[in-house]
Amino acid sequence: MSTSDLEELLAEPTWSVESLLPPKTPAADAPSISTNQLHHLLRLSALPLPKTAEEEKQMLDTLSAQLHFVGEIQQVDTAGVKPLRAIRDETETAELEQTITLDTLKEAIAKEKVIGKHYKRIQRDATPVDARDVENWDVLGSAQRRVGRYFVVESERPQE
Amino acid sequence: MLVSTCRTALAVLSRRPYICQSCLQRARQLPLTSAVRPKPTSARALQSDTKPPPPNDDTPFRKLLKDAAKKKRKEDRASSGSPKVSHCDRDARLSKWELTVGIEIHAELNTARKLFSQAATSVNEEPNSHVALFDVAFPGSQPHFQGETLIPALRAALALNCDIQYKSSFDRKHYFYQDQPAGYQITQYYEPFARDGSITLYPHDFPAGASPANGPVTIGIKQVQMEQDTAKTVHQPPSTHLLDFNRVSHPLIEIITLPQIHHPTTAAVCVRKIQSLLKAVNSVTAGMEMGGLRADVNVSVRERSGQSTEQSQSYHGVTGLGQRTEIKNLASVKAVEDAIIAERDRQIELLENGGVVEGETRGWTLGSKTTRRLRGKEGEIDYRYMPDPDIAPVIVGRDLVDHLRDTLPILSDDRVSTLVDDKDYKLTSKDASTLLSLDDGERLDYYYDVVKHLQTAFADQPAILARTGKAAGNWVLMELGSLLKTEDWSETRVPSDQLASIIAHVLRKQITGRTAKLLLSTKFKGDARAVEQIIADEDMLLRPLSRQEYLDLAQSLLEEKADMVKVIVEKQQHKKVKWFVGQMMARSAEGTVEPGPAEAVLRELLHLPPADEQ
Repeated sequence: MSTSDLEELLAEPTWSVESLLPPKTPAADAPSISTNQLHHLLRLSALPLPKTAEEEKQMLDTLSAQLHFVGEIQQVDTAGVKPLRAIRDETETAELEQTITLDTLKEAIAKEKVIGKHYKRIQRDATPVDARDVENWDVLGSAQRRVGRYFVVESERPQE
Repeated sequence: MLVSTCRTALAVLSRRPYICQSCLQRARQLPLTSAVRPKPTSARALQSDTKPPPPNDDTPFRKLLKDAAKKKRKEDRASSGSPKVSHCDRDARLSKWELTVGIEIHAELNTARKLFSQAATSVNEEPNSHVALFDVAFPGSQPHFQGETLIPALRAALALNCDIQYKSSFDRKHYFYQDQPAGYQITQYYEPFARDGSITLYPHDFPAGASPANGPVTIGIKQVQMEQDTAKTVHQPPSTHLLDFNRVSHPLIEIITLPQIHHPTTAAVCVRKIQSLLKAVNSVTAGMEMGGLRADVNVSVRERSGQSTEQSQSYHGVTGLGQRTEIKNLASVKAVEDAIIAERDRQIELLENGGVVEGETRGWTLGSKTTRRLRGKEGEIDYRYMPDPDIAPVIVGRDLVDHLRDTLPILSDDRVSTLVDDKDYKLTSKDASTLLSLDDGERLDYYYDVVKHLQTAFADQPAILARTGKAAGNWVLMELGSLLKTEDWSETRVPSDQLASIIAHVLRKQITGRTAKLLLSTKFKGDARAVEQIIADEDMLLRPLSRQEYLDLAQSLLEEKADMVKVIVEKQQHKKVKWFVGQMMARSAEGTVEPGPAEAVLRELLHLPPADEQ
């Protein structure tokens, strides 16, 4: 193939993400999202509510476009395909490695003892473990407010 | 310093709040009406997703009880004239309406480290001293599943006869509350690690007389899942909260039963049994009284006649149920029973007056008469469950499950049936259950030791051998128990071989029962001499009086108290013979006169019929 042929081939995009977005003029039967629904979703995510009607319209339009996008994606046939939760090593070897076996936990099990002469009971050794490697950092350093060794939080709702 | 008991040693080492033995004993021994627990200083909420707890929860417990009693007195006085729901009415209602209850129990696991970080678990340590980066959801921190938390979790699930799932996964349950730094709780919603278990309640688990007539009740367990605990909040009125994140990510298990419970007592017994089961396999060490275990109950009623099925609900295969309400955060076995009764009555009242039960979340405070609405259907939280992408699925090896199952301690039901049925012990089921629950099992261990000593002593005397188990039970539970009272259990106060010696002397009729109790008390107070030595020193052996000696003693007594004799003979008040028996015993050396022969001789002299003919 010559360079000019290549250039011709690559000049026009054959696909654009625009194809997954709603058209500029929304279709008549496009489902609308109510203000209540929007506010509910914002509260669920602890996001601030829109301050002006313009801001709200903008949010609704964005949300609408996003829903249309998701709708288009959902057109793909996924029959028999397990949903992906995370990119992980899912080979058999990996599964064997990740299995928690008696060997994996032998140290923890060794820390238990059996007590009782006739009535035998299990008892975990309750001496505190040394976890300083994860606990030794300034926990309260980023606290906005603190009192002694506590974080302080104000709840906005007045108490009953 | 005396050797500390297991319990105090553990308490010291784990720096737990020390609960006195009397409170614990009361909590365990009273049938279902478990005693009040000292309220923890913080307004604790295991995954509370409701509004901040109302101020009531922080008032001193004593005050709550006093207020409740005052309120009740006032109401009783006020309504003494008005008609109350009589027993007949109540029974009629209950024969028309059937109660259905499902229970969700959250229990803190006994582990060294947390669920998703290597920080140490703790109880009542300095605030915010055992916190890893992930525990406070520090940006950029990642969860690291701690495999050793599986050990107590698997044991609990195996004790509940569950199927352990080879693969299980964690999900996020989103809601915002100050005691949850991440904005979501990590739980196992879609794929719990254990499913389809069961728990059987036997007659010995119920308080006397309350057991259902048809024998043991089996309640299905839908699933057992692992999840995180939340932070501790100290409420400072009016609207300030102090947060201690030591408890965040402490592993919990949630046990969900099927709605197959139809009586409030059954529900309470179920909660109590699950608690003792979890303790028996060392999965949970802090009980309800220490805030380590909480129950939520789901209550609904339906007509027994099976009508009104248009709106019936179902749950995991159990169909035809009425609309349920959820009562959250019940902190004692008594609260469970009372709350269910109050809610059932409220729902029946509502339905009989033509109303409709709404699916809402309700709360209960000790001493209330009805449950209190916390959140209605409109306030229902949308948790938006989603699989947590940061956490790999938990894959449990078969060998681990088999090992834990094989080394699982014998469960209480088997132990109780052995103690009741086996000829070596022959205890009543109530005594057996009590022995099992006292002092973390130390008392039972001691009992077994005493029985072993006795069996060696009486190996060649089968008649007495048959009575050793029961006698030992009586002495270990009642006599020693009454001496201990508020003190801690210690097996060295009265070593098992010494108690066995006392019991052996009694069984051989070498000392009277009264002498034996005196001996026990002497040993308990710290007398270092061996029992045989004390008996020899204090001359306590029963020297049976000859018949002549009895006759002489009786005769002199009768002559002395001729007027009493007259009363007995002429007025036919034969029971007053016992007074003479007492006098004979009081006038003789300790342990020489036995009441049986004394009474027989007296009756003979007075020409009265023998005692058992009256």
